[in-house]
Amino acid sequence: MTRTIQIPNICEFMSRHLVDVFETMLSMKAAPRTGEGAPMFEERVTGCVAFAGDHINGAVYLHLGTPFATRIAAAMLGLEPTDLGEAEVNDVVGEVTNMLTGGLKSWLCDSGAECAVSTPAIIRGSAFTIEAVPDVEREWLIFECGPDRIVVEIHVRIG
Amino acid sequence: MAIKILSVDDSRTIRLIVGKAFRPYAVTLLEAANGEEGLVVAAREKPDLVILDVTMPVMDGVTMLTKLKEDPALKGIPVIMLTAESGRENVLQIARLGVRDYLVKPFKEDQLLEKVGRCVTLEKRPVVVAPA
Repeated sequence: MTRTIQIPNICEFMSRHLVDVFETMLSMKAAPRTGEGAPMFEERVTGCVAFAGDHINGAVYLHLGTPFATRIAAAMLGLEPTDLGEAEVNDVVGEVTNMLTGGLKSWLCDSGAECAVSTPAIIRGSAFTIEAVPDVEREWLIFECGPDRIVVEIHVRIG
Repeated sequence: MAIKILSVDDSRTIRLIVGKAFRPYAVTLLEAANGEEGLVVAAREKPDLVILDVTMPVMDGVTMLTKLKEDPALKGIPVIMLTAESGRENVLQIARLGVRDYLVKPFKEDQLLEKVGRCVTLEKRPVVVAPA
């Protein structure tokens, strides 16, 4: 059953799912961008949720520029951006990453690749890179949301 | 009299979103960050409804629900499960545990209110007009 799970299918699912999550939870229109490299955020907030099973494991990273992450948190909580601290923004970015990975988990399980997901972790900073370990395939999905960019980085090892 | 709703979720974001949805209604919102805390609050406050996350540290929602259903004083409280996972197996497992309903994240406020409204009566908060 896991033979049908390949990186392009995962990316296709995740592209649809991110658009749905942003529309439903934030009333924001996100649209996939093709042929565009990952943007260089001056400062970013990155949410990470890992998934692991017998036939598949990996992680989903959601990268957002800090000002946009703050606006997303404000939209989700119905508050003004100026009322929010780092903790609230971290929690919202973690929850959105959790929803993205939870959807992927459901899709993987329905495709025959049972797996479990971790609780979210947050990385903040301006000059960090995430290295993939050997045998892991890595893809970036870029989305536009008004003038802002959303980057989803997916690491997957199948088999 | 305000009804009591207990929101059990490790995400403060979700607890805030749930609280925001019920702001116009006569609801006293109780909160807990995991199943263990949720059981303590449920035993003390006897809520009219529990909105329960599935995946949480310390004690997950499935374990809390199982313990709730084993307690004669609490087993009648309706429970709506919140889950980020919509897979067939996950939904079937939740249904077998005897929940009243479930809601998959992401969700809209209206969907939450509709499902809650099927379990308890939501009344608008009275509008207080200040004397001139």
